[in-house]
Amino acid sequence: MELQCGPAVKSVALQLESVRKTFSNCVVIGDLNLQIDAGEFLAILGPSGCGKSTLLRMIANLAEPDTGRIDADPAAHRTAFVFQDAHLLPWRTVLDNVVLPLELARKNKAESHASAQAILEQVGLGDSASRYPNELSGGMRMRVSLARALVTEPSLLLLDEPFAALDEITRFHLEVRLRDLWQRLGMTVIFVTHSISEAAFLANRALVMTRRGGQIKLDRRIDLPAVRDNGLRSGAALGGEIAILLAAMEEE
Amino acid sequence: MPRKWRTSAKTILPPLIPFVVLTLTGEWIVRAGIVPSYLLPTPTAVFRAIIDNRAELTRAMLKTSGSAFAGFALSTIIGIGIAVLLSSSRWVQRAFYPYAVFFQTVPIIAIAPLLVIWFGYGMRTVVASAFVVSIFPVIANTLNGILSTDPALRDLFRLYDASQLDTLIKLRFPAALPQILTGLRISSGLAVIGAIVGEFIGGDGIGSVIDVARTQQRVDKVFAAVLMASLLGLLLFGLINLVSTLTLRRWHASEQQP
Amino acid sequence: MNRRNFLASSFAAAPLCAILNACGKTPAGKLRLALDWKPEPEFGGFYAANYANHGLTVDILPGGSGTPTVQMIGAGSAEFGTVSADELVVARARGNDVVALFAVFQNCPQGIMVHPSPNMNSIGDVFRSGTVAIERGLPYARILEKKYGFDKVKIVPSPGGDISAFLHDPHFAQQCFVTSEPLAAMHAGVATKVFPISDSGYNPYTTVLATSGALLRDHPATARAMVEAVREGWQSYLASPTATNANMHGVNPSMDLATFAEVAEAQKPWIQTADTATNGLGTMTAARWDTLIAQLKDLGDISQPMNAAECFRLL
Repeated sequence: MELQCGPAVKSVALQLESVRKTFSNCVVIGDLNLQIDAGEFLAILGPSGCGKSTLLRMIANLAEPDTGRIDADPAAHRTAFVFQDAHLLPWRTVLDNVVLPLELARKNKAESHASAQAILEQVGLGDSASRYPNELSGGMRMRVSLARALVTEPSLLLLDEPFAALDEITRFHLEVRLRDLWQRLGMTVIFVTHSISEAAFLANRALVMTRRGGQIKLDRRIDLPAVRDNGLRSGAALGGEIAILLAAMEEE
Repeated sequence: MPRKWRTSAKTILPPLIPFVVLTLTGEWIVRAGIVPSYLLPTPTAVFRAIIDNRAELTRAMLKTSGSAFAGFALSTIIGIGIAVLLSSSRWVQRAFYPYAVFFQTVPIIAIAPLLVIWFGYGMRTVVASAFVVSIFPVIANTLNGILSTDPALRDLFRLYDASQLDTLIKLRFPAALPQILTGLRISSGLAVIGAIVGEFIGGDGIGSVIDVARTQQRVDKVFAAVLMASLLGLLLFGLINLVSTLTLRRWHASEQQP
Repeated sequence: MNRRNFLASSFAAAPLCAILNACGKTPAGKLRLALDWKPEPEFGGFYAANYANHGLTVDILPGGSGTPTVQMIGAGSAEFGTVSADELVVARARGNDVVALFAVFQNCPQGIMVHPSPNMNSIGDVFRSGTVAIERGLPYARILEKKYGFDKVKIVPSPGGDISAFLHDPHFAQQCFVTSEPLAAMHAGVATKVFPISDSGYNPYTTVLATSGALLRDHPATARAMVEAVREGWQSYLASPTATNANMHGVNPSMDLATFAEVAEAQKPWIQTADTATNGLGTMTAARWDTLIAQLKDLGDISQPMNAAECFRLL
């Protein structure tokens, strides 16, 4: 696993043009235009039902837009997805769960196991490799899910409210870890959440979506230092960003 | 040490107590003349019948066991195969599942004579009968299990561009295993019943012992044979439970200690 | 003797019935007559009988494969039933107090049906090769086994009236009711040769009206009335069976009316004999019963002493 120093090339990772999606006469995403640069950490904020999960699924190619295009940078496109639930295969050990994407891609077994073990170390679960998912706590399971997502060295990492079901302390720890991994591995991250403080803490760019109609209400560069730790949480800088995002979310 | 005894007691005593009570009651109501012995044999008479006829019963049991096992094995393999095929597409399922239901609804008593015409007298008819009676629960439960895969996991496999085959072998089948084992548990008992019905028509085995003893009005021998048949069913059931424990023990709630 | 095939569920229900009926039945009400096969000409007289004329209300319960009529009488789920003489003797040996009242078939109409062939000349020839479908548990089967040995043939369960296996296989022999299966085979275009069981010296009364010893003791008038009604019924049926056949066909449509008529005619010599001409239809003799008891004892089916007098009563 190579270590990269932060986001490398300033190329366009993802381009969405006039994307529109309706579910049974309800406009979920309405005529959306968006450009995401490679190596960005993008948070998508919005109230429940505003279409942010749908948007993420379309980016992941799990759903099709009704009209419009989603262009991905063809040069490097391994996409990984982390769901709100860890969704581990309960009959496989932690290691075998992490190895799964490589196994499905028919990669060499020994190398795959080594990569998986290494990634587990990175998320702090190096000695849990032979345990089963039902033996782990919620936070640990989410870390395995994260490891599984990272094992293929993805260039695009999509996360759909991954920490929503966890307690605050675990959430804080995982946010720091995620940010840390992003800085080291340099992939583009799109993080969907309904937590304003989470979005502000994690991202360097935040989108606030409208309650209805699936439009972007606010597109803001988060003005916070590159290295973020838990000390930042009680600071005024974070508070300020949160206030701005909150204001955007509240006005309608 | 005492803890181990307490656990054994907890497992063995609950089923043992009703058994003892029933046996004693059964013995008493016949001896007291409330029920005539030609209608209901005493437990001691049944036990004696088992001892007196042990050679014949053993021979018959081996025959019936073989047929029941064979029929059950066929049900398992073919049943799972059919379920996998049915799961491959909505259209296939809608077109062919109703015919699978036929196996559930056809009365074996009615088609057993047909089986004799097709397979002749002997083991093949008995195996066929066991198969026909026991296959449907395997199909139904396996199919249900395969189709019930968590959609999020299916999304995950789609994301990784997994082939249909990989999705079947690495996701849908392991996820369906608890359900498949449920189907097998039901099917195992049915296979024994099917074998015995087959033997009523096709001859041999425990079914034949029951039939002949009944004609001779030897109630004690009938009950003895029926008891043996139940033990066979229990044995098969126990085997499935063993398989279930071994395969599900590490990860499925049904096999975990509370 | 009967064509029985499968385990009857009433076998398990019988003990329950016994418990429920442990206190005496009141034959003042409806009397149940349990038949050991489907309504066919062998029961013609029972259907033709005018029970009302004798002050009785009788409910005829048609049977089928494996109907355990002896046990039903013993358990009290029927006041009367049709049984075969040998199963009655065995039942008595097991402690079931059933008594015979009226024997429809004076000679046993059971036989072995074979495809005719030059080397099939006596019943012993049947057991030299091929397949024989016979109910192994029945006394006559075991008498045949004792006499001729079953080691050279394949013994399979009797298909109970179904002749499809017989039609397909020239080396297939099956037990039959002399008046039934051979006729069916003839209709299907296949010739048959029949060896009656009675030829080997085993000749129990068949389709015998029986009741419990208790009913005989406590309600002798009812028993007598029943026998009289049944005897008249048989006289009427033997004289003109058509109307009754139509009635039975209504309950058992699996036999067509033409066959009903044929069988009704074919069974006459088994029912009307020199004995019945002198002593009335359904008559029985102690000598016949004695012979049967001795044969069953010899077979090992019964071990306790039994005498003919307790097995039957002429009313």
